[in-house]
Amino acid sequence: MSDQRTSRLKGLLKLLRSPTSKFSLGSLLIVGFAAGIIFWGGFNTVMEWTNTEKFCISCHEMENNVYKEYQHTIHYSNRTGVRAVCSDCHVPQAWGPKMIRKIQASREVWGKITGTINTPEKFEAKRLTLARREWNRMMKNDSLECRNCHDFVSMDKEVQSPRAKRMHERAVADGMTCIQCHQGIAHQLPDDMTDDDYLD
Amino acid sequence: MKKLTAAIIGVTLGLSQGVAVAEPADWSAIEAKEITLFFPGISPMEWITGKIRIDRARHGGARPFAQGDTCIDCHGQEVAEMGAKIASGETLEPDPLAGRPGSIPLNVQAAHDGSNLYMRFSWTQPAAAGGDKADAENPVKLAFMLDAGKVETADQSGCWASCHADSRTMPEGDAGKTKYVKDGSVAAGVFYDLVQWRSGSNGGYAGHVADQRVLEASDTVVASGSQDGDTWSVVIQRPLAGGEADIALEAGKAYNVGFAIHNEHTEGRFHHVSLGYKLGIDADGDITAKKF
Repeated sequence: MSDQRTSRLKGLLKLLRSPTSKFSLGSLLIVGFAAGIIFWGGFNTVMEWTNTEKFCISCHEMENNVYKEYQHTIHYSNRTGVRAVCSDCHVPQAWGPKMIRKIQASREVWGKITGTINTPEKFEAKRLTLARREWNRMMKNDSLECRNCHDFVSMDKEVQSPRAKRMHERAVADGMTCIQCHQGIAHQLPDDMTDDDYLD
Repeated sequence: MKKLTAAIIGVTLGLSQGVAVAEPADWSAIEAKEITLFFPGISPMEWITGKIRIDRARHGGARPFAQGDTCIDCHGQEVAEMGAKIASGETLEPDPLAGRPGSIPLNVQAAHDGSNLYMRFSWTQPAAAGGDKADAENPVKLAFMLDAGKVETADQSGCWASCHADSRTMPEGDAGKTKYVKDGSVAAGVFYDLVQWRSGSNGGYAGHVADQRVLEASDTVVASGSQDGDTWSVVIQRPLAGGEADIALEAGKAYNVGFAIHNEHTEGRFHHVSLGYKLGIDADGDITAKKF
């Protein structure tokens, strides 16, 4: 580092460590408080913006592949008009796990920059790997994202089809988790799945 | 002379009684069960049990099936919908035919007189869809299969245990391979008893499905059908005792049964089939043949 830069840094540090002679403690606190709110609010606004469908499909890799598949499914359009977007299933709701997921997602930024799945062929080649990551995550967290909205206790099984009622009763009795039967609920199953990839 | 004439007439009548179909005089007094036959597409046992995938998906019922559920347990109330979905080509049918009916409701009646089992079938001929006439001689065929509890999974699936991915007319099938059952053997009693009526010859055919399907014109199975408008009515008579490679039907017992109609000159997998039911001979079942 050059002498000029070193001395500037030292000067800044000295300023930060000295008590102010101009501003009152109260004003510092109020300004600091307001700045903190603006920063925290801004941070979370940006976080939520990265949770929107628009943000996710701004990458063509997502829009052309998994988004198109999802548009034919019940989570996109259904009788009651309740839609689940990308983040509803793929990003935890609780703040702590959400931050962890967001940090892990920087790998996706790298993937975008290096174009790991930027053609249909590359995407199909990697589909199973990507799917397995999600299945493993959901097996580990007991289908947490499904349970953000759905849960066995809230199900009125009498208004389900006889087959659905039977399967859900069986799932509760056998201690199963949603993803075990509902693989492929929103996106196409990979063609090259092995027997072990089936969770039921 | 009069006594001799009377005697000759009496003996002749007596003899003809034994040969003619002595079906119930009044079928309307016998309870009918409506069974929906549906178009099954490509759904062999290998798919049912989850060993293979078709259209990327495994049969979600593989797990409950392995746990002992019958097909009816899950699908009993959605047979027509299943058939419509498959016939349309949405799933399990790589070669859909426009206009092919998804399902055919079939009325089944059964009765016995101690010697023979009588089954009467009635259904409405669906609108024609066209398509290949694989069996030019027979516009319609109707069949049923019986199992006495020996064929593996017949108690859950009816006649489905005879359906395999490598049989003829299946996409991966061998043209020379008929229906068969796992560990099928006439000697060991592991076979389906097969009874069929063909509209072309208007006659009865009998056979079995063990390690292969054997089916021939029969003189013990008497079958006759007719069409009134668009309603078919077929009566099949089969001796209760049966013979070699037949299942002996005994009063007080129930047997696994499945039904099929080959509609519009079809053959092989292009039939409409039923899920698995129970036929009771003076016994509880989905269909009961009572003594009349």
